[in-house]
Amino acid sequence: MRALLFFVIGAFASAQNLPEVLKQGENVFTKSCATGYCHGARGTTGGAPRLAARGFDQNFISDTVMRGVPTTAMPAFATTLSRADLTAVVAYVASLNGIANPTIAGSGGPSGSTAGPAAAKLSGDAARGRALFSDAVRGFGRCSTCHEIGGFGIAVATPIAKVPADAAALKALATPQVSTVTLGSESMPALMVSKKANAVIFYDLTTPPPVLRTESPASVQTRDGSTWRHASVIGAYSDAELTSILAYLRAVAKP
Amino acid sequence: MRIPAFLFLALVPLSAQDAGVTRADWPHYGGTQFSWRYSALDQVNTSNVKNLLPAWIFQTGDYTENLGSTPIVSGGVLYLISAGARVFALDAAKGTLIWQYRYPTARPGIAGSHSDFIQNRGVAVGDGKVIFGTKDNFVVALDQKTGHEVWKVSVDDPKQCGCNITGAPLIVKDKVIVGGNGGDQAHRGYLTAFYTKNGRAAWRWYVVPGPGEKGNETWKGDSWRFGGGAPWLTGSFDADLNLVYWGTGNAAADFYDADRVAPGTNKSKDVNLYTASMVALDADTGKLRWYFQEVPDDVWDFDSSYEVLLMDRQIRGQMRKILVHMNKSGLTFVFDRVTGEFLSSFNVPELSNWITGVTEDGKLVGRNEPEMGKTKNLCPSAAGAKSWNSMAYSPRTGFLYTPTNEICTDITPNDTKPTEGRFFMNGDFPMKLPPNRTTYSHVDAWDPVTGKRIWSVPYKFVLLSSMLATAGDLVFTGDPEGNFFALDARTGNKLWSFQTGAGHRGGSISYSVNGRQYIAVTTGFQQTVVGGAVLGMFPEENFRAGSTLVVFALPEGSR
Repeated sequence: MRALLFFVIGAFASAQNLPEVLKQGENVFTKSCATGYCHGARGTTGGAPRLAARGFDQNFISDTVMRGVPTTAMPAFATTLSRADLTAVVAYVASLNGIANPTIAGSGGPSGSTAGPAAAKLSGDAARGRALFSDAVRGFGRCSTCHEIGGFGIAVATPIAKVPADAAALKALATPQVSTVTLGSESMPALMVSKKANAVIFYDLTTPPPVLRTESPASVQTRDGSTWRHASVIGAYSDAELTSILAYLRAVAKP
Repeated sequence: MRIPAFLFLALVPLSAQDAGVTRADWPHYGGTQFSWRYSALDQVNTSNVKNLLPAWIFQTGDYTENLGSTPIVSGGVLYLISAGARVFALDAAKGTLIWQYRYPTARPGIAGSHSDFIQNRGVAVGDGKVIFGTKDNFVVALDQKTGHEVWKVSVDDPKQCGCNITGAPLIVKDKVIVGGNGGDQAHRGYLTAFYTKNGRAAWRWYVVPGPGEKGNETWKGDSWRFGGGAPWLTGSFDADLNLVYWGTGNAAADFYDADRVAPGTNKSKDVNLYTASMVALDADTGKLRWYFQEVPDDVWDFDSSYEVLLMDRQIRGQMRKILVHMNKSGLTFVFDRVTGEFLSSFNVPELSNWITGVTEDGKLVGRNEPEMGKTKNLCPSAAGAKSWNSMAYSPRTGFLYTPTNEICTDITPNDTKPTEGRFFMNGDFPMKLPPNRTTYSHVDAWDPVTGKRIWSVPYKFVLLSSMLATAGDLVFTGDPEGNFFALDARTGNKLWSFQTGAGHRGGSISYSVNGRQYIAVTTGFQQTVVGGAVLGMFPEENFRAGSTLVVFALPEGSR
């Protein structure tokens, strides 16, 4: 496993000199590791163990950064930091442990999260759409309440296969997968997840956010079709904003 | 029309005394929704507490960040949740397992943010359901009888907000209200209410008002977007007034205010609303009814998120419905809970240099703020004069029982710009033991009306476990060394102590089954965040991890 990790890190040739990498590593450390509840500034003090001057070797540091420490608040950063940031932060922590020339193969890439498409690659309109898609200010009215893209959002709906042409088409979207569930005297729009002998599991779409409900098959009646309309849950956005969101969806759509 | 006597009795409003005490059950996180952590049971009392012995123990098997929750007891069944959200229903008399539920592996949040802190402080039980929040921001309702999932709803995306739910929910009538953490990050805190019946959202109240809402003008530019304020613990409820009371979190960034407070702002009142405030919300709509900002422009990480104690007391000859609330600084406020009028305050820690005092109308005087380019030693620390563990209140003595820590901090602020969901504290704040002391905490009894300390019992390390008061005139709590002990509620004399084998970070409760009184305590010392900081301050000590519920009773036949 260790060899594999180094293969992954080592596959990207160095394009930066050590001081630049250490600077990048310090920036990553400041943002993701140095809060006082965790390792503190320069890894000297905080709620989590001290990291400076512990005599750690670089392999140990790399392993721990990549995999985290199970059952503690120390997360695995392997999938949440870019390769360049991982290399840089490992080199930085190595430097805190007196390693004068840490290995920096794999450095030189962009800083930032690996989750989601890199904002830098998107056009202005698509980048605006990306921010709108998961805009916290919209509360439960944002797209990411029901749609997940690139690790962001809640995957209630199935992945977006076909991007509507414009805002009007987005509002008029046909949603044949939404059915009607009747429980007692109440009917509701529903997205069926599974029907088993002992449980019917579905999303209740009555009001955002969708609620994953588990009911006994005897109490549930289902029928195809619903009065639910996609237009009713995207009212938090203007047409211009929806157009930007569509530009984003087109930019990240799988061919 | 004649009203049958029994009906008439049922219509008489409960007095605060009745609404505040628990009896056979321990129905809510804070005992009752008045949050006294006080049991009216008195079978165990000052004269026989020395005979207390373990009746049963239960190990959760989940050693992830130990056991910091407070159990719930309802109808002879004890409901317990572990840090990793394993939920257990146990026979409260024997400890045998009735059902268990294991939350699947939580979706990862943002590495190195609040969303990767693993804690769970408790479930709420009501409407036939056991309801809790999760590390990845779901609220889950289980069938109280079977432990099967009934509904589950996402409150927020941990990948984006870097936040999660660690506090116990509060069930109010037909709704369950949950807060969340993330106020030390670029995040905007809120409370959300869901219908217990079906999990549908009922209302959301944002701590930081948006554009066009009153209070938004107390934020510089668009700093309100990442203004923090996350209400991460559990509020209280007064059914007569139909008001939910909740304390809100600190403003973000924690230690640096130049990007959220306009130059020349008068800091005596209402800055960065409604952070570090006590708020009263309409239970049905979530609309703000009154507020009082305890720390305007908080630059010390002094949340107002802690428990809210509701009681009725004589003040200047008049019976008042009051609310007693300790800010993280240890400054404790008394309000009229009907109107929000400030009545008085008193300061609980012995070391306090962040302000010099408080005016008669509740304004802070002599603010000693962190300064750019300097490192200042300030007391108390961001870990709190009290941490999130709750105090208790006994209506028999009229005293509050508080676990107080005397820890300071060296604050060095910085002006880092925010990234959504990432830590946005803007300061380094290593905890420091103050010089010239041999003890760093104390259990105190305070009279909330006079603001006088009645007694104080020092302890050499720190106290991070909730208090329990009982009608046996006992006060229980645990320490990091693993001792669970009972003090005389009137004198503070230690009457009993038991080594439970692991440090204490959770809560203790009392309940009865078939006439036998039990006292239950969660054990296992938190190894990161505040618990971790404490371990760092006492490097010679080994405050042991674990995840065990220990339940005590008087031996059969000895009562």
